[in-house]
Amino acid sequence: MSAAALGAEAAGYVSCTTCRLLSRPALAEAPGFCPRCGAELRLRRPRSIEVTWALIVAAAILYIPANALPVLTTTTLGSEESDTIITGVIYLYRSGSWFLALIVLVASVMIPLGKLVALSYLCISVQRGSAKNNHDRTRLYRLVELIGRWSMLDVFVDAFIVALVQLKPLMSVEPGSGVVYFMAVVVLTMLAAQSFDPRLIWDAHPPARGRHG
Amino acid sequence: MAEPVDSKELPVATVVRPRRARISVVWIVPVLAAIVAIGIVVQRFISEGPTITIIFRTAEGVEAGKTLIKYKDVNIGQVTAVSLTDDFAKVEVKAKIAKHAAGLMVDDATFWIVRPSISLSGISGLSTLLSGNYIGFEAGKSYASERAFTGLEVAPFIAGQPGKQFVLKAADLGSLGAGSPIYFRRLPVGQVISYGLAKDGKSVEVKIFVNAPYDKFVSHETRFWNASGVDITVDANGFGVHTESLVALLVGGLAFDTPDFLPAAQPALANWIFPLYGDRATAMKAPDAVARRYVLHFRESLRGLSMGAPVTFLGLPAGEVTSIGLSFDEKSTNIGTRVVITFFPERLLSYADPEMAAKFEAALAKSTQKRHSFLQRLVEERGLRAQLRSGSLITGQLYVAFEYFPKAPKAKVDWNPETPELPVMSSNLVELEAKLTSILDKIDKMPLDAIGDSLKKDLDNLGETLTDARKLIGSTDTLVGNVDSKLVPSLKTDLEALQRVLQATEQAMKNVDATLLGPNAPAQQELRDALTEFTRAARSLRVLLDYLERHPESPLRGKTQSSSGGK
Repeated sequence: MSAAALGAEAAGYVSCTTCRLLSRPALAEAPGFCPRCGAELRLRRPRSIEVTWALIVAAAILYIPANALPVLTTTTLGSEESDTIITGVIYLYRSGSWFLALIVLVASVMIPLGKLVALSYLCISVQRGSAKNNHDRTRLYRLVELIGRWSMLDVFVDAFIVALVQLKPLMSVEPGSGVVYFMAVVVLTMLAAQSFDPRLIWDAHPPARGRHG
Repeated sequence: MAEPVDSKELPVATVVRPRRARISVVWIVPVLAAIVAIGIVVQRFISEGPTITIIFRTAEGVEAGKTLIKYKDVNIGQVTAVSLTDDFAKVEVKAKIAKHAAGLMVDDATFWIVRPSISLSGISGLSTLLSGNYIGFEAGKSYASERAFTGLEVAPFIAGQPGKQFVLKAADLGSLGAGSPIYFRRLPVGQVISYGLAKDGKSVEVKIFVNAPYDKFVSHETRFWNASGVDITVDANGFGVHTESLVALLVGGLAFDTPDFLPAAQPALANWIFPLYGDRATAMKAPDAVARRYVLHFRESLRGLSMGAPVTFLGLPAGEVTSIGLSFDEKSTNIGTRVVITFFPERLLSYADPEMAAKFEAALAKSTQKRHSFLQRLVEERGLRAQLRSGSLITGQLYVAFEYFPKAPKAKVDWNPETPELPVMSSNLVELEAKLTSILDKIDKMPLDAIGDSLKKDLDNLGETLTDARKLIGSTDTLVGNVDSKLVPSLKTDLEALQRVLQATEQAMKNVDATLLGPNAPAQQELRDALTEFTRAARSLRVLLDYLERHPESPLRGKTQSSSGGK
């Protein structure tokens, strides 16, 4: 709880990421395997920041086609209408369901973007060795991990509509290619959040203060 | 800081290259993502067609992002924006055209809005009822790329169908419209694609499409005519109703045919311009190469004579009335009629048998002089005269007839003017009318009132006379009564006297027996004489009785002078 609390690494131990058993590492470079559950022991997730960065970049790239390409193509009696996420939100807003529009906007646009921004911020702060706002950053990380899956809402809705609305001659809904990229964005950001090792936030804490505090 | 280097503090060299130097495999993910994203962009860029602008008068049913552009029912683009033009007069529609259709955007490509239309000639664009209007497209023939178009108001005829397009020039559109059928021998073989005013505004240009294989029947000599609706003609030939078909009756239509008298010609080239005739008769009329114009000065009213009225020669159609007007004679300061007729000698020749026609032509066609003298002779010797005649008593339409009137007053033809004048003859009808008028005038002049008065007087007199007559009859009755009462007794005495005579005669006869039958009968002669006398007496008596019967008054009044014989 206290910022000055001693971490396992600093104390010369290694914590199993699977069963949380605290053990002494076999070697400082290669801690070996957990004596209880057999999982590979790591002081920190290897290349956590790098992997996170790579996934953030990939997600950011794919975020563009995910929003630019249509996610749904509705065919009503011969007239075809393609909607991207944003036009869907605008359509919902214009047709009076501002609440739904807000939900879709938050879940499908703001959350993925927010996750990307939040993870980038965490990575940058860790890389710069910042020791400020550790608690807030940890809370931010937890939030990112928690809400990440909710971004799939849009994909699920898509999948439902496509499966349900197939009244072929009258009306049919086809998934647009955008939904694939959108899903990729969500999955990549989830992976990025997973690959980020939150312990790194606390590593930057000056040891002296930690030991004494 | 410390000068002597503590060997323990120096790092130990590693056996393997530190892994950190290597780039993590995980970077493949963003690279892949980048490749995919770039791929999308590139694909988009490659497949990106041109954006075109179409100007429409109205954007009926056109919606941005929804309305498609279709060519042969295949989507080739989509409307991206609909806005008003800068001057707010028209609608500017921007559309994104698919890459594969970019080559179709040439400067003579056409666009139009397809909307459902239900007319008598057919139902079209029914699918748009459900899907909404779309923009139809028709490829052009040009190779010049174009990005700005002006949309058509009506759909052009969809090409790609085998056949040919022709242009008809008409004075007016009649009841035609786009889609009006075209008939060939009453078979629908095509339709009107579009129509528009000619550039000079003096005629209407109608674009038509004749489907294959019928298009080969359209030759350069083919005549097109308007089969629109009901064609009712009232002319000197009578009353005529002509229609092509029920559809044509309702929506108008065209028909074409090639006159038989023309040699078979090659099929016409596409977009050949034909004149559009008003009706079949005009269209199929043989062209009159030789046309001679003459002036006629009729002395009667021209009411009922119309331009184009037939001119007949001995009852055969030979020309038509070209103009009707007035003439002013300076000398007599008289305004008269002036009718210009056009005479087509070839038409008359077509009635003659070919050999004769050839001879005739050979004799007269060569020299104007001969022709003139020929006509002169017809006029002077045979009495060829023009006459206005009524073609139909019901309609009162007149025509000009050329007939021989041998008793017509002498006339000459003056060949000097450009259009020579031919002598005329008052029409039978007019003569009849004049006669009737004169009769009526005479009747009008008769002192009918006076006649009536005197007739009345006469009748009064007659009445009086009759009264007298009745009186006379009454007196006659009394007379007869008198005869009964007075004459009969006297007759009785007469008869008694006669009886006495007879008795005396008998006595005498007895005496005669003695005297006459004797050998010397001297009385025999006397007897004969006496008998003769007696016979006479008897005759006289009969006459008397007759007379009395007829003139019962005679015993009273005596014998009238004229009567003979008596008592």
